[in-house]
Amino acid sequence: MNVLTKLNSPVMYLICGIIVLFVALVCVFFAVRAYRAGKAIGMDTARMKRTIVASATFAVIPSVGILLGVIALSGSLGTPWPWLRLSVIGALHYETQVAEVAAEAAGLSGLSASQMTPEAFSTIALLMSACIMWGMVLALFHCKAYTRKLSGGGTEKGSVRASENKPKKKKLNLSGFGDKAMTAMFIGLVSCYIGSYIGTFISGKGLFHFSGSLLPLLVALCGALAMRVFLLIKEKFNAEWVDSFSIAGSMLFAMAAAVLFSGIM
Amino acid sequence: MSEMEKKQAIYDRYIQSTHTIGRICTLITLILLLAAPFVIGIYLGAMPNMAAFGKAMLAIGLVYLVSGVVEYLIYVPMLGAGGSYLAFITGNLINMKIPCAMNARDIVDAKSGTPENEIISTLSIATSSLVTILVLALGVMLMIPLQPVLQSPALQPAFENVVPALFGAMACKYYRGSIKIAAITLLVMTLLFTLVPSLTGSTSFMIIPSGAIAIGLALLEHQKEQKKQSLEVKR
Repeated sequence: MNVLTKLNSPVMYLICGIIVLFVALVCVFFAVRAYRAGKAIGMDTARMKRTIVASATFAVIPSVGILLGVIALSGSLGTPWPWLRLSVIGALHYETQVAEVAAEAAGLSGLSASQMTPEAFSTIALLMSACIMWGMVLALFHCKAYTRKLSGGGTEKGSVRASENKPKKKKLNLSGFGDKAMTAMFIGLVSCYIGSYIGTFISGKGLFHFSGSLLPLLVALCGALAMRVFLLIKEKFNAEWVDSFSIAGSMLFAMAAAVLFSGIM
Repeated sequence: MSEMEKKQAIYDRYIQSTHTIGRICTLITLILLLAAPFVIGIYLGAMPNMAAFGKAMLAIGLVYLVSGVVEYLIYVPMLGAGGSYLAFITGNLINMKIPCAMNARDIVDAKSGTPENEIISTLSIATSSLVTILVLALGVMLMIPLQPVLQSPALQPAFENVVPALFGAMACKYYRGSIKIAAITLLVMTLLFTLVPSLTGSTSFMIIPSGAIAIGLALLEHQKEQKKQSLEVKR
C-alpha cells in the first residue's frame, strides 16, 4: 500500500472525522445556547432567525472555495487531512504555505505526492497543527480577561440595559468609539487587499509598468458593482430580505465575471 | 428584582458559562489537533521528525505567532466571547467568519459591545461554521464525481478570485458610510503596494498599518463629532 493510499484510507477518515464531528457539535451547542440566551434577555427571535439565514447563505460560496482548497491539497496530502484542517481552525492560504515549508524541512523538494513519505507526512501534519494554534491558545488563556477589559471601557457596554436603550438616538450619538473602530478596522482590512490588487497591477511586473494582473481588481470592482445594485433594490423597494443574499449574490456575479475576464485576457 | 435586573443576571450567567465552556472546548480541540499527527504517525508507522519540525517551526511558526496575536487582538472585540472561541476553533477568519459576522451584525443593526452583538456574532459564526463543515463533508463524499467539474480549468479563475469578489462587495457596503476614511486608507495602501511591490507577499501583515490608519482617522472624526455635539448642547 503506497503512502497516498494509506492517507486516503478509512482509518484516516475516522481519525479526522471524529475531530470534525466534535467541532460540529461544539458549533451546534454554542448556537443553541446563544439563541436561548437571546430569547431570555428579550431579543427579537425574528432577528436571530434572520441572522441564521443570512449567515448560512453567506457561508455557502466561501465554503465551496474552501472545498476547492481541500481538492487542491488532496493531491499531495490525501483527502482526509486537508478536509480536517480546512473544516477546523485552518485557512487555505495558511495551510498551503505551512505544508510547503514543512515538506521542505522534512527533506522533500516541495509538497508532492510522488515524494511523500510517512515520516514527512506526520511532520507536515504536526507543523500544520502547531503553527496555526496561536489564536486558540490566546483565547484559552486570555479571552475572558480581554473581553472583560473591553466591556469595562464603555459606560453600559455589555449590559442588557445598553441593548434595550438602543432606539434612543441621543444615547447612540454619545455612545463610545468601539463601534466606529470596528467599522474602521474592517475598512482597513478591505482597503489593504484592494490596495494590494491595485499595486499588483501597477508595479507587479516592475515599478509603474502597469502590466501586472488586473483580474483580482476587476473581480473586486464587479463585486462592488453587484453589491451597489443589491443596495439600490433594497433601498428603492424597501426590500430588507435582499440583505440575506446580497453578499453571496455579489460574489457569484464577480466570480462569474472572473471566468469571463480570464477568457478574454 | 426588576425585569431588567433579571435579564442582566441571565446575561451575566450566560457570559460566565460561555467562557467556561469556550475554554473547555478550545482545550479539547487543541489536544485533539496536536494529538492527531501522532495518532496518524502510529498508523503510518512513522512518527513526526522533531528536528525537521523544529527547523520549520522557527522558519514559519514565528511569523504565524505574530499574525495570530494580531488577529486575536483585532477580532475578539468584533466577535465577543462566544464568537471568538468558536471562530478560533473553526478558522477561516478573514475569508469568512469576520465578514459573515459583520454582515449579520449590520443586518440586525447590533452595536459592538452589546449583548445583542454577542448573541448575533455567536449565532453567525456557529451557523457559518456548520455550513462549511456540511459543504466540506458533502464535497468530500462526492469528491470523485465533483472533481472534474470543480477542477475544470474554465472554473478555476472563479475560485481563485473568491477573496477579491468578497472584498469588492464588502468595500461597496462599508465605504459608503465612511468615504473619507476609506479613500485615505485605500490611497495610502495603494501607494505602499505600488512603491514596494514585494509587500504583496505579506498582505496579511499589512492589515496592521491599514487598520491603524483607518482607526486613527475614525478617532479623529469621532473627536470632531463629539466637540460639535458638546457645542450644540452648550447652546
